[in-house]
Amino acid sequence: MSDQQTPQAAAGDSGTDPTASGRSATAPSRLHEAAVAAAMYLGCIVVALFASALIVWATGGSWQAVFSALLDGSLRAPGRWGETIGIAIPLVVVALGTAINGRAGVVNIGQEGQVMMGTAFATYVGVRLGGPGPVVIVCLLIVGALAGAMWAGIASWLLYWRRVPEVLTTLLLITVASQATGYALKVDWLLLAPFREDRSVRNQVSEQLEADTRLPLIDIWGNDFPISAFAVVLMAVIVFLLFKRSVWGFRMRMLGRNARTAQRAGVSTVKYGTTAMLISGACAGLAGALMLSGGDFGNYRFTPGFANNIGWEGLLVALVARSHPVGIVVVAFSFAGLRAGSGFLAATGVEREISQVVLALLVLALLVPPAILFIRERRRALSATRDRT
Amino acid sequence: MADQRTAGTEVPAVRLTSISKSFGAIVACDRVDLTLHRGRIHGILGENGAGKSTLMKVLIGLVLPDGGTIEVDGERCQIRDPHDASIRGIGMVHQHFSLVEPLTVWENVMLGDTGRFDAPAARRRVAEISEHYGLGVDADAKVGDLSAGVRQRVEIIKCLRRDPSILIFDEPTSVLTPGESERLFDVLRQAVREENRAVALVSHKLDEILHATDEVTIMRAGSVVQRMETSDADAPMLARAMVGREVSLRSEASALGLIETVAAGAGDDDGEGSRDGEHEGTGGDSVPRVPALRLRDVVARGPDGRVSLDGLSVDVFDSEIVGVAGVEGNGQAALTDLLSSLLPAEAGSVEVDGVRVEPGSPGAMSSAGVAVIPEDRHASGCVLDMTVAENLFLVDIERIAKRGIYDPAVMRRDAAVLIENFDIHTAGPDAPFWSLSGGNQQRVVLARELSYSPKVLVAAQPTRGLDVGAIEWMTNRLRQVADSGVGVLLISNELEEILQLSDRVVVLFRGRIIGEMDRADVDLEELGLLLGGAGAEADAEAAA
Repeated sequence: MSDQQTPQAAAGDSGTDPTASGRSATAPSRLHEAAVAAAMYLGCIVVALFASALIVWATGGSWQAVFSALLDGSLRAPGRWGETIGIAIPLVVVALGTAINGRAGVVNIGQEGQVMMGTAFATYVGVRLGGPGPVVIVCLLIVGALAGAMWAGIASWLLYWRRVPEVLTTLLLITVASQATGYALKVDWLLLAPFREDRSVRNQVSEQLEADTRLPLIDIWGNDFPISAFAVVLMAVIVFLLFKRSVWGFRMRMLGRNARTAQRAGVSTVKYGTTAMLISGACAGLAGALMLSGGDFGNYRFTPGFANNIGWEGLLVALVARSHPVGIVVVAFSFAGLRAGSGFLAATGVEREISQVVLALLVLALLVPPAILFIRERRRALSATRDRT
Repeated sequence: MADQRTAGTEVPAVRLTSISKSFGAIVACDRVDLTLHRGRIHGILGENGAGKSTLMKVLIGLVLPDGGTIEVDGERCQIRDPHDASIRGIGMVHQHFSLVEPLTVWENVMLGDTGRFDAPAARRRVAEISEHYGLGVDADAKVGDLSAGVRQRVEIIKCLRRDPSILIFDEPTSVLTPGESERLFDVLRQAVREENRAVALVSHKLDEILHATDEVTIMRAGSVVQRMETSDADAPMLARAMVGREVSLRSEASALGLIETVAAGAGDDDGEGSRDGEHEGTGGDSVPRVPALRLRDVVARGPDGRVSLDGLSVDVFDSEIVGVAGVEGNGQAALTDLLSSLLPAEAGSVEVDGVRVEPGSPGAMSSAGVAVIPEDRHASGCVLDMTVAENLFLVDIERIAKRGIYDPAVMRRDAAVLIENFDIHTAGPDAPFWSLSGGNQQRVVLARELSYSPKVLVAAQPTRGLDVGAIEWMTNRLRQVADSGVGVLLISNELEEILQLSDRVVVLFRGRIIGEMDRADVDLEELGLLLGGAGAEADAEAAA
């Protein structure tokens, strides 16, 4: 069933091509392109599964057990697909933000740090702000988003003020965020929970969110996930429409593809670039706040390892889905499935290193086709232009 | 199989027999024969896309032919890359310069050398070549400080340094003033006559071929259509062979580079007399009018920090075409950028219809009503990765939007109308922009720029890289635009284009306008002097 998911991702992704790039719009080849892409995904996944099986078998493990554990952990075992959805939520939000800044041609690879900042600020609000639960939830989500935006805003400000490359600043700000939030978790006037029986002396851990400040869970056949899942799907649809129909999205795209033409046509690089960066940061921050209040990460507490690479993985999701909002939802679910499934691998008796290799191979299988498609397109465009010059 | 004609008295320097090359479905060269003899300049004439560049690339090893044979000095060989070619004594001076501006002339000449590096010897060698051919190039000068003509000579030194016996020149005069072109041909003749080299001169300009070559091969659509002694040829005959039909010289003269013909005709008995008359009226100072575009003492710096516009002033009134003549690199790019909101003005003022505009802020010029056909449309005129329809709405997407939301269906529908009106050949509104040919891309740009009813149209090198048919189309459109009441500022390095289209000619030199004349009063000799900077104080001498 795991291979059932991923071809879905393939179909979703290739079908979304034309809007993502406006290129496959030449009618005759569209179907053909989709078929090629689907075949490519299928081929890569088959190869990855085969290679994984080979590695597991060669190291003395049982490949049947590995695949069945992955399936159990992500979908089959009771309650697991709820878990998968819970993990997918922040991935989608981070990836949507990444899609927006990618469209405007600004690079943000610091989502991990923005997630941390978002969570830290959200925790502070969630724990300290009294009042009715729903109000607190809304506040902590807003504050989380603002904190992420602020963190990305620093990079954006440096970029347009002094032309400091945003690739560097966003990346390096992750370390700063990690240290800063780590410090906040050490002092009790910031985030550190007061000493009680449920925390040891040296633990850096925040107070747990009160029950009424947590996102409500929905239970379907024993699978629970936070209601934010619906909001996130709605968000993807909104971003899709923004990309497709809004003047704003059109101009963002213009800026990303040709900054000089955009400037001439009245798109201010600074204004639109900053907006894109702030939105991207806000999404990452919001993702952090959703992780905290959703409960699938860290049990409603903020800890130093809380972000758990969700920022990085969200970035990856956006890349694999080629920034297409609908593709992002599908790919995020696949990645979340792998993450949830990997929890069950330990029980198979296969060495941890080997099971990590298996996971990496499966991720790689999802990464290769978009890269090939991208290169193919690029080459076609280049040769088309070269023939003319 | 190729040896049927070796019976001649001397062995030709190069013999290409039945060379074929296709790129996908496009046949660039179809069984082309070409023979270069020592001591002669061989002209290769053809329109853009006729296959002449491909043929030369085969000879220099940049393109491998699909079929046919190459003989150099009677010896059959294969040329796999430019290094092979240089071993066999073939050298090429490319159309586009590949020089590093911050380096000196001799450093540029030595670039790409391997092995031990002997600086004094290199300088001596450069100085020697320069003196020998009378090129007048200072080996220690910085390339960045040199004019286009001198840079061309640096390229020639780069080529001559290896002492090639076979020289290829690809469109060498595209950035030169008439005077500089003359000079270049003198050097060429000397190299040929005294040193028994063989020269191939690739060009699409008739006058150049007529003046400089001994024999000529005319190509059309990948095949040789005619070859003859240049002494037997005349302009109409060459033009006919090149285009494949009777050419009305007046309308296509610009494309073919017939300076003299146009200049001689345009003097008094011009067919466009009615338009001239109209402009005598508007040009008179008796009634002060608000110009559509007025630049006053504009100073601007390029991205490198150099002053690229230095006190430039020019007026464009509605319904007139003002031609900005000048040798490339005298501020044309900066002027276009300024009028494209890409470059701020440090001093001076820009007014559109009497209203002052700040040129540096995004979209300022286009919303004030200044449309631009940029020199490099890929850089600032389009977005290659967007569709044709989207490219038609880059500037004024708001026209079809309501509260920030537009309907792609409406966009497509409106685009289809423009595609129809401007005769754009494309698979449809959804076709990616990069899939269009250069001429059609240019039409999209023009269609878009005119669609927001501009007051002024700035056309920078609007016909560069287009073939004769596309040039004719663009030329006619520009006239129509002016006739419809829009002021047109035509910035071009092609003097013929300016002379053919403009009502008024101004000369741009080192970032300022140093001369202005009505089209009817243009004296070619005087104009040539102005282009070289005469009249712009004393420093002009240094450049020439």
